[in-house]
Parts: sequence; structure tokens; C-alpha cells
Amino acid sequence: MNSSDLFSRKHSFLETESPKVLLLVNGIMAIVYIVALTFFFTPGNRILFGLLIAGEVFHLWQVLTFLYTVWDTSYVSPRKVQFNPSVDVYITTAGESVDIVEKTVLAAKAMSYPHFKIFILNDGYVAGKENWHDIERLAEHLDVFCITRRSAGGAKAGNINNALPYTHSPLIAIFDADHVPHSDFLAKTVPYFVNARVAFVQTPQFYKNFDANYLTNGSWAQQEIFFGPICKGKNRLNSATLCGTNMVLSRAAFSQVGGMCTDSIAEDFVTGLLLHARGYTSVYVPEVLAEGLAAEDLQSYSNQQFRWARGAFDVIFRYNPLFMRGLSWAQRVQYLSSASFYLAGIVVVIDALLPLMFFYTGAVAIQMSSMLLAAIFLPYIFLTLYMIGRVSKSSFTFQSLGFSMGSFGIHTSAFFAAITGRKNTFLVTSKQALRGNFIPIIKWHLLYCVVALVGIVVAFDREGITASLLNNGMWALLNMSIFAPFIKTALPARAAAPATASERSEHESEVISESLLSTRHLIHSQS
Amino acid sequence: MPTDIQAQQGTWWHTAIILTSVMIFCITVSVLFLLPQSLRLDEAQSLWESGRSPSALLMIVAKDVHVPLYHLLLHEWRVAFGSSVAAARSLSLVFYLLSIPALYLLGRLAYSRTTGLYAAVLFGLSPFMNWYGSEIRMYTLFTLLVILNQYFFLRIIKKNDAAAWTGYAVTAMFGIYSHYLFWVSLLAQAVFYVFHQRIFPARALLRLSVVAGLLAAVFAPWVWYVYALKEAGMQLPLLARPTTVDLFNAFSQFLFGFQDDAINTIFVSLWPITVILAFLGLRRNGTSHYETEYLLFTLVLSFAALFVGSLLLTPIFVSRYLIFTVPSLCLLLAHFFERYPLTLARTAQWSIAMIMVAGLVIQIQNPATPVKENYQQVAAYINTNATPQDTVILSTPFTLYPIEYYYHSPATLVTLPIWNRYETGPIPAFSAQDLPTQVAEITNGYQEAWLVLSYDQGYEKTIKSYFDQHYQEISARHFSRGLDLYIYQLRYDTVSSAAR
Repeated sequence: MNSSDLFSRKHSFLETESPKVLLLVNGIMAIVYIVALTFFFTPGNRILFGLLIAGEVFHLWQVLTFLYTVWDTSYVSPRKVQFNPSVDVYITTAGESVDIVEKTVLAAKAMSYPHFKIFILNDGYVAGKENWHDIERLAEHLDVFCITRRSAGGAKAGNINNALPYTHSPLIAIFDADHVPHSDFLAKTVPYFVNARVAFVQTPQFYKNFDANYLTNGSWAQQEIFFGPICKGKNRLNSATLCGTNMVLSRAAFSQVGGMCTDSIAEDFVTGLLLHARGYTSVYVPEVLAEGLAAEDLQSYSNQQFRWARGAFDVIFRYNPLFMRGLSWAQRVQYLSSASFYLAGIVVVIDALLPLMFFYTGAVAIQMSSMLLAAIFLPYIFLTLYMIGRVSKSSFTFQSLGFSMGSFGIHTSAFFAAITGRKNTFLVTSKQALRGNFIPIIKWHLLYCVVALVGIVVAFDREGITASLLNNGMWALLNMSIFAPFIKTALPARAAAPATASERSEHESEVISESLLSTRHLIHSQS
Repeated sequence: MPTDIQAQQGTWWHTAIILTSVMIFCITVSVLFLLPQSLRLDEAQSLWESGRSPSALLMIVAKDVHVPLYHLLLHEWRVAFGSSVAAARSLSLVFYLLSIPALYLLGRLAYSRTTGLYAAVLFGLSPFMNWYGSEIRMYTLFTLLVILNQYFFLRIIKKNDAAAWTGYAVTAMFGIYSHYLFWVSLLAQAVFYVFHQRIFPARALLRLSVVAGLLAAVFAPWVWYVYALKEAGMQLPLLARPTTVDLFNAFSQFLFGFQDDAINTIFVSLWPITVILAFLGLRRNGTSHYETEYLLFTLVLSFAALFVGSLLLTPIFVSRYLIFTVPSLCLLLAHFFERYPLTLARTAQWSIAMIMVAGLVIQIQNPATPVKENYQQVAAYINTNATPQDTVILSTPFTLYPIEYYYHSPATLVTLPIWNRYETGPIPAFSAQDLPTQVAEITNGYQEAWLVLSYDQGYEKTIKSYFDQHYQEISARHFSRGLDLYIYQLRYDTVSSAAR
């Protein structure tokens, strides 16, 4: 990929639009669809009908909250360019390789900002990593501070909280070990803190290795719509999501909520919630100012998805934004919407099971002409897809859809872990591709394909070629098609190959070039 | 530079070859399979109307709720090339063939050469278009004018030159005289303009208003003429209120042709596959084109207008009336498939094309194809087997047109309800009360009644039931969907009836 394409991929997802008429019509159609389905269609099997309606109500919730969020994505938070207090830069590490950390530190040192100090927060010791000494030596070599935590607890959140007493600047910038900041990161984020009520400023979590393989491509594709129109819309609603890296926090606000939340596996998400509940303001800066690494293998990706889903369910079941004091109604809706996203896994399971129920038992959810369903469903779904494409400027792809829906197993597992209260440890996402057999991760997908194909034969034997068989067969095929990206990723031929050193160097040089371009731009705008 | 010119020339040849091949394909299908088919009801009506003098033609067409451009052209065409069914059908074929390169040009202007080319291929393979490309009706003329009008409409946005405005106005003026539903195409353009004013050139509103005024001025005389006649719509066949099934059947017919119920059920039941195709089309390169929105407007608005109009006013939802949306559908499909990765795109393109060819073959070969009307075979059978002692009764009355084209039998030919075409006024309405009297009148003195039933207007069962109750059915024959012949013994006091 050449520099021009790379530049385009970094910025295209931030070019959003909000076609109001289209959004309004889409919302109306969504409501009409669910009302028609619920009240004007003859139910078949009552249980299946109930499950279908439950799933569609969830979809309606997702659609309406999405429309509400992206209604206006043009909001820009106020800032003052000349405002530049001192900043403590935290770079969290827990066993990442020295060269990864080094790149991040070097880039942090190159940031164009008058007053900041860099602290490597070294959790290698408590995590039992062998290279924790190397990190200390690296810090010494690069002339930055290193805080090695000696007592475990709280994972990354605990690591950050551990550093708070040793640092004193009014602002704290936090980067994961692999998230390399641009030179203008602080220059473009700190000015928003001119408003003393601003608790944090978040920037996109861009994956510079998005084209390393099929998985990273899909993984970034999933993020584009979130960091594009959704985060820009959340900014308008004072509901930016704290993402744990590539962010700057106000120490004063941070200390009000006791630092990073250590009670939840999604420590960043919950901390943002608590800050909002305290009445603080958030800002989302829609510009790629730091670049990290996506998980390059399916196991790492699954671990990450599980953590996010598990944390999201924590928010729903333990913190419940709907009743939390201090939040505005917009914020309640936003947090519930984001957290409930992972319920989609259960809905995917429901929708996937419906054709199977027909194949093996003949039971259907609705007893109406399939054409009637098509008449109200097709315009709605086509318009929704078109709307998402317009809003996100076509950054929402089949890959992102496939990865989101294909993760149903992970999300469902997280859901049951949440409701049973099972403890889950914080697993740092691997920055290098793991090798191994990833087929077990897709066992449910493969099982579904087999069961569906056999089911078609069973149904054919029972009733021959009927409209119902064809229709349900197509729905099963739809599900299998959507699972295809996920299945494809797990296949041995697609097993992640870590980017070679030269490929990484090429990426980094492009990042540095990008930073220099930004710096030149900064100098130009100041002169 | 020479390489670029050679490449362009190579591209031009490649395009010409493909378009020519498609046109040759359509000609071959038409000559071998479609031109020789039996005359259909609507075609018979076109022949009858265009056989009159231009002034009489205008009056008849006005009463028939159509506009006269096609009929006038057909009249002159028949003067030049003869009165045979094949000659009359070939005029529609000419319009269809011209539509193929026209659609290519539209697609090239809207998207790209390859999109235009593939859309033209789909259009040429469409069983639906091939069917109406050999039917003595105005549909291919209508479609051609819509394509050209759409071309100039987009050209206004892209080039804003004199040719664009002139072409737009001229094609619109001819278009409104090709079919009343041309106004729906213009309405879609108006709605599109309202939502996308910014992309139009300066003073577009003024110029479009001038064109609208021109159209009003050009069309006003016809409106006044129709109003003055006071008999418009008297001969309209009864159409059923549409359902959602009809919506999907229309799309299915556009792509896969007219199929019998079993095959059609298969095609239509596979509708979730469109969701799969839509999901697969979610691509990063899929920036929204306003051309796509315009074509979608045309497609959706047209369907919605006819469907809602059918529910609220009078049933007018038939797929042939929506034929002018087929080019838009082909272009949208072509553009959509180009968003896919190359392998998937080629697979989808070839699959659709092959399925359409299969649909065309089945449509041609299958005797149960619903749009086939074998009046020729009915008439041939009657010509061979009916005697002067028999009476041939046609119901619905207007099916007299296609029958009499082939009718040479000495048997009397009447209709039920009894209708004299040469008297002014509409076809008499059916009355169950008058049925016994009318049957008695038309069967009096005859030996056998040959009842030809087709185009049920809601009373076919009543007539059949009456005959079944009062006479003995000797024979029944089925010729095509909804076209049946029943022979009844009327009397038993003759030598021949005794022999039976």
C-alpha cells in the first residue's frame, strides 16, 4: 500500500455525513417494520415468534440509537491553542517486546509540546515477564522515567493508579505500549482542557497494521464506524468513550473518581462512565494522532473481543447507566447503547436458530406469506445499509459486519460469564501474532453450517421443494455467508503471519513521515 | 500517446463487438421464437387500431386510455412494410435494439464503460425485454424514450450543454406521447431535483420550468381531446388489486421472465439472497453516487406510485407498465456488482446472466408460460373442426380481436355478453340476469356451442357454470394459461347429434 492509500485509510473513516431526511426516514421505516411484524403478522410457534420479536426489538434499539448518535457529527468542542500546561505521558507495558516500547517512547519524545515528562509504567515484574529489567534499561537509555510496579492488582488499571502518586502534572496522556503517538498529539489534544470541566480527551485507536492480514483488516474495519461517525456523534452528546489509550485525562477529574477503575475488566469504559456521572465533560478529537497494532491472530482477537464484551456487560449489570445519578439522558442512552452492542451475539444465535427449527421440526416464527415479510423487510434493510454507508462514507464493510456478527460465540460466552459472575482476568492483547490451531474458535460456526446443510436435506425429505424450504434455506445461507469472514480467518491457510521486520519498518517510517507532515503543518499554522 | 489511442480504439472495438453481439442475439431470439408466436389480445388491438385512418386512430386510442405516438408510427410502418404480424412486431424490435446502445451510453455517462456494457448485456438478455421486444405494443418505444431522456437528464448535470437541454426537452415531448406513465419518470426526476438541487447547474430550475411548460403546452391538446370524447377508459380490461406478491413478481419477471407458478415460486422464495448480495456489496470503494440515487428514485417511486395508485384509485399495477424501470434496474445491478472484489463480481455477473438466459429459454419453450396466448391455435382448431351448424362464443368480448385475425371458420362468431363493435359505446357489462336470454339468443338454431373463455373479467365462472348446468359438455381443450375451449351439445334432434 502506498503512502497515498495509507493516508486515505487513516482519514476516510472520519469523513462522515448526517443526511437528516435519510436518517428520519430510516427511523420511521424501522418502527413501521417492527410494529407490522409484531402486530400484523400471524405468529407461528409462539416461542419462536417471541424470540424473533425480541431480536428485532434489539435491532430497533440499535438502529434508533445509532440514528440518534449520528444525527449530527459536525460538532467541534471549544479549545484554546495557546493553553499548554504540563503533561505526564504514561506508556503502559506488561511484557511487550523492548523494540515495540522503544518505538513508542521515541515517538513520544518527539512530540512537539513545551512541557511533558514520559513515564514507562512497567508491569512486567508483577506480570511475571522476563523482560521487565530490559524495560528499565530502556528507560534509562532513552532518558525517560520508569515506574516498575511491585505489587500486583488491577491489571492495567492498577498499573496506572500505581503511577499517580509519583507524577504531578495536571494532565496525563496514556498510551499502550504499541500505540505510537504523532508529534502533534499533545498540541492537538491539550487545548481542549482550557475548559476545566473537561475530564478527558480521546482520539481514535488506529491500527497501523490494518493491512497485515485478513484479520487485522477486518478488525480495523469494525473500528472504523465506531471511531468515525459514532464517536463524532457521541462527542456532540458529551458521551465520548474512554478507550484506554491515545487519550489525555485531567488529573483532578481522575482523582475524583479514584483513578482508573480496577473493579471491571473494561476499566477504561467504566472510568469514563464514572467521570461523566460526576458531571465532567469529555471530548473526542476526530483525527488519527497515534497508531497502534491490531491483534494479528484469531486467538488474540477473540481474547480482546471477550474482554470488551465482558466489560460492557459489567456496565449493564453492575453499573447500570440507566439509573446512575449524574448522567444526562443522552449519556444514559449512549452508554446503554454501546454496552448493549454485545447482546448482538445472542440475537445472532436466535436468528441463526430459526431456520434450523424449521428444518428439523417444521415450526416457523410467523405464519404469513414470505412475500409480505419481504415487502416490509427489504426496503427497511436496504435503506439501513444505504444509510450506514452514507453516514460512514462507505467505511462500513462486509468484513466489519462479518467480524461483528461472527463474534457471536465470544459475545455470548461473555454474556453468560457476566450473568454468572465468573471472574475473568485481564489479558493483554498480544502485539505479535500467535501461531496455532484456531479451528476451535470457529467450532460453532462450522457446526452451524453442517447442521444447516443436513437440516435442508431433512426438510426436503419431509416436504419437498416448498416456498418455506427455499426461504429458510436462504436465511441459513445468509447466516453462513456472514460467518464466512470469521471462518476464513481461522483456516490454516489464513493463519496469521506476523509482519516481517521490514514490513514493520516500512509502516513505522510511514508513521514518522506522517508525523513530520503534521509537524510541518503545525509550524505553518503557527506562523 | 500512440499506445493510448490504440487502447481507446481497442476499447471501442471491444464495446462495439459486445453490443452488436447482444443485438444479434435479440434479433435471433425474436426471429426464431417470438415473431412466429400467436397474436395476443393487446397486439390484436394495436393492429386493429393502427389499421384505421390517423383521425380514427386518434379517437380510438384516446378512448383506450393510451397516447398515440406508437400507434401512429405503427400505422406508417405497416404502410411501408406490410400488415403481417411479424412486420408489425418488428417495429417494437427496432426500438428494443436501439435501446441497447442507448442504455450503454447512459451507463457510460452515469458510471463507466464497463458498467454501461454489462447493463446493456443484462438488458439484452432479459427475458422480459425480449418478450416485449417482439410485441405489437408501445413498451419498447416507451423504454427507449425513457432511456434517452434519462441520458440527457444526467448530461444536464454533468455537462450542462445545449445538446443536453435540447435532447432532454425533445425526448420528453416524444415520451409523454409514448405512454402516460412517462410522467412518472419525469416525476422521479422532479423529486430527485428537489433533494439534489446543489448538483444541478446554475439556472437549472428556470430551464427545467421552461421544459415543463413546453410539455404542458404540447400535451394540453391531447388532454382536451380526451376530455372532449368523454368515453376514455370504457374498454379497459379489469385488473386485480395488487398484492406484495405482485411487487416481487414484477422484479422476478424483469430478470427471469414470465414463468409458470411453480418456477416463479422458486425464484421469488429465494428473495433473502438479495440481502446476501446487499451485504456483500458493503465495500470501502462504494462511495455514493448521485446517479445511483437517481436510478433508485426512478425504480422505487415508479413501483410505489403504481402500487399505491392501484390500492387507492384503480388497479394499474402490471409489470409491463413498469417496463421503463428495467434499464434502471440493469444499471443498478451492473454498478452494484462492480463494487465486489473481482472474482466475486465476475461470478455474480456471469451467474445472473446465465440465469437470465435460462429464464429466457424456459419462457420460450414452456407451454405453460403465463403470457402466452395461443389464439392462433384456438382459431386453427376451430377453423378445422367447427361447422356452419356451430356457434363460436367468445368471452370476454374483446378477445374477438385476436381470434378474428386467424378466424376462417364458417361457424358464426359471437361474444358473451353480446357486443357489437361497430356501435358506439363501451362493451356491455355482464349481467347474470340477462345471461339466460343472451345465451338463448346466440345458441338458437345451432347444434354445438364452442365456448372460448379467456381474460376473465369476473364472470367467466358464472358463464361456465351456466353452460355446464344447461348443456352437455362434449369436449374441453386447454391452449394456454387462462385460454380454454369448451364444446357443448346444444340439441339432440339432428343426424349428427344422434350420431354422437
